[in-house]
Amino acid sequence: MKNVKFIFDLDGTVTSQETLPLIADHFGVQEEIAELTKQTIKGNVPFIESFIKRVHILGKLPVSEINNLLESVPLYAKVQEFINMNPDKCVIATGNLSCWVNKLLRRIYNQASGITFCSQAEVVNDKVSKLESILKKENVVRRYKGEGCEVIYIGDGNNDLEAMRLSDISIANGITHDPANSILGVTDYVIYTEEALCRQLNQLL
Amino acid sequence: MPSVKSVVISCAGIGSRLGLATTKALVEIEGLTMIARQLKSLEAIKDIRVVVGYQAGDVINEVRRYRPDAIFCYNHEYFTTKTGASFYLGARHGSEYSIEIDGDLLIHPDDMRMLLEQDGEWIAYSDISSEDAMFVRVDCEGNVLSFSTEKGDYEWTGPACIRKDKLRYGSGHVFNMLEPSLPMRGIKIKACDIDTYDDYIRAAEFVRSWGA
Repeated sequence: MKNVKFIFDLDGTVTSQETLPLIADHFGVQEEIAELTKQTIKGNVPFIESFIKRVHILGKLPVSEINNLLESVPLYAKVQEFINMNPDKCVIATGNLSCWVNKLLRRIYNQASGITFCSQAEVVNDKVSKLESILKKENVVRRYKGEGCEVIYIGDGNNDLEAMRLSDISIANGITHDPANSILGVTDYVIYTEEALCRQLNQLL
Repeated sequence: MPSVKSVVISCAGIGSRLGLATTKALVEIEGLTMIARQLKSLEAIKDIRVVVGYQAGDVINEVRRYRPDAIFCYNHEYFTTKTGASFYLGARHGSEYSIEIDGDLLIHPDDMRMLLEQDGEWIAYSDISSEDAMFVRVDCEGNVLSFSTEKGDYEWTGPACIRKDKLRYGSGHVFNMLEPSLPMRGIKIKACDIDTYDDYIRAAEFVRSWGA
């Protein structure tokens, strides 16, 4: 039996809508976030710098309200089904703060416990008081490769670049928006429909 | 009922001998690009896998007009590798059997339909038409015995269908990958590939001959 691990980016790969613009719209800070998100996806702002700025803007907002808001983000049903059909082989890696997305992640896993990697923050009085760690997705790839897994990475943004470069097989995901140009220089595949993505995932099992 | 197959279309090359400064998949024959003609004849196939390299973005955009559900496979080493590497990269994570079609190949639609109905492994060839052909030698039943640059009974144009466990990565051509499996079942088809400008002119006549 193949010792394979599928690592999924969250935004635009498992969810059919990007989560940060949704938070920004809900709380009326879309102008601040929109340009930053756009430049980050294009690769014009380094991911960590962008993430710190985003948390600075959004961390003042009530964590519980963000968590509740993101719980209802629309998902790609077939991708979600693949993850739940293969729980031991699938991992979600997101730069999002765990305190913002833990309800969403539980929903993706149908309330079961799935393997997830997120950024972490300290929360005091329902606000982010301190950013504790920022997930580097390439470290998730290194971890599973170190355990002898064949790692397959599915993502769409510039912050997925190093993880894709290190993976055994990488899939640039274009089902929500065009993948960042930077990842097209390293990816093994680029796929534009959910059906085709799931077809390829099943062929890789 | 034929077995489930992937179709791998190799469109990574630079098409240098044609001299049109465009990858051959995007060359128009009688108002339709080569890749569009191929995709129209493959509507019955679910798993279409297009190998891209040179002008990848343009090829992807053209393919998505006809098959948004295609899987695009990158051959980042397209400048230093040949069709064998592209076929490997396109087929390695596909179905148990894959049909390989070069992006510069035009196949008569009736023959394409017939090929898609075939089971197992096979090699397709056609009457000799190119000046710069790769030949196949066949036995009395049409089975392919060998490939040759010197002489043969027919021209090797492809496509070919092989099982995934025969795939090997290499910098050579598809026929190099097929050689260890010879003899293989052969199927004669009407097809022409486009390597030179003369081939390009002949391809337009070929398409007109089937009334497309």
